[in-house]
Amino acid sequence: MILVNYLVGVVVFALGVAVILTRRNLVKIVMGLSLIESSGYLLLLSAAYRRGSTAPVLLKPPGGQSEQDLARGNVADPVLQNVCLTAIVIGVAVTAVLLVTVVRIAQHYRTLDADRVRDLRG
Amino acid sequence: MRRAVVGWVFAVATAGVLGVAVVDLPREGAALPHIARQAMTVALPDWRTTEPVSEVVYGTRTFDTFGETFLLLAAVVSVLLLARHRERRHDYFGEEEAGQEEQRYQNPGDEPVGPTERTARAADTREDDDAAANAGEASAGRPETPDAEPVGTAAPEAAQGMTVVVRVAIRWVLPVLAVAGGYLVVQGYSPGGGFPAGVVLVGVVLLVYAGFGYRRIARLVRPGPLEVLELIGALLVIVVLALGLALKGSFGANWLPLAPEQTFRSGGTMQAFSVAELIEVGTGLTIVIFSFLAIRHDWTPANPDAADSTQPGGDGEDSR
Repeated sequence: MILVNYLVGVVVFALGVAVILTRRNLVKIVMGLSLIESSGYLLLLSAAYRRGSTAPVLLKPPGGQSEQDLARGNVADPVLQNVCLTAIVIGVAVTAVLLVTVVRIAQHYRTLDADRVRDLRG
Repeated sequence: MRRAVVGWVFAVATAGVLGVAVVDLPREGAALPHIARQAMTVALPDWRTTEPVSEVVYGTRTFDTFGETFLLLAAVVSVLLLARHRERRHDYFGEEEAGQEEQRYQNPGDEPVGPTERTARAADTREDDDAAANAGEASAGRPETPDAEPVGTAAPEAAQGMTVVVRVAIRWVLPVLAVAGGYLVVQGYSPGGGFPAGVVLVGVVLLVYAGFGYRRIARLVRPGPLEVLELIGALLVIVVLALGLALKGSFGANWLPLAPEQTFRSGGTMQAFSVAELIEVGTGLTIVIFSFLAIRHDWTPANPDAADSTQPGGDGEDSR
């Protein structure tokens, strides 16, 4: 029932979109972006899963299986797991930059309200 | 509320479209895609590693990881640029003076502040005994290290360290965590690699900071050495990958002799790349986190009356 994972990922993504569109607090908007990122991780890891699969380690296949079984597909997809690692690192980097921008906006405009951050203020 | 309606309609529509799209994704019964099978079959003979995920990270998708590393570096540089205004650059902490200077520039005349604000500023001054220690002043009757504080005192809010329970726990956990971080990167055949190991080591630094205060790691966590270390890590990445181009004719190709699998050196340049990645990620994230911790000036309201009002400081108090 990996479809449930996919659908939960979609719901989390939509929640993130909703947070970004409906909130005015900049920190909450960044949190919405983090929600969207998390949905991406869930989607990637779910897509990597195979029924009855083991971790993609070539050490010793579980009982009754040969290494050929592993290569033939009784293992989680290592490429997608790698893509998930990449996504996590990029998510951390993007969140850090966004948060520091929010801190500076707050110090400059003295508000976290996105609607009040319109006028140019040198 | 137009914003809420539009936002939720859009979000639900997105969910609908994605939900329809997602139904056709490969399920748990699907065969492994070709590229995954290729990674599985290539890991052992070509790289002498039993860890296909690491092989994909540092072998098959080398160029992608290379780009990712420098994306992280770019993020660190942006955070540094944004987080520092015009402070003197000798420390992450102790930037308060620069902030006060800016504050004085913004509201000249130095109007009298309210009682709430006075309390807050006094607490800030008490907390900032790192700056006092740097200036060579006595630090207001506080012991040199949190360990020297007598057990059972009512810890003030400004206390540098946590309680003795937390400190002892941290002492026990730290070596385990540090060894685990090192293990992740040293054992090429274990799941892990430079990225997770770097993050684990950042966790070690943060635990020391949380438990024992900044002074315990102040010698280690300074912009000077850390930034140099990070750039050394980035340079190592470039050197390791470019040597593949020079010696083997393709960027990121393995140019080290392959050791037997499940040893320290199995994986060839994968391991070297992983170690460089550890340096880069560990120092980069430390720099980012401590830059965040150092942003603390300039939060006082511009309007001194706002500090006197009963409302806690928050959005929209400013009259401008």
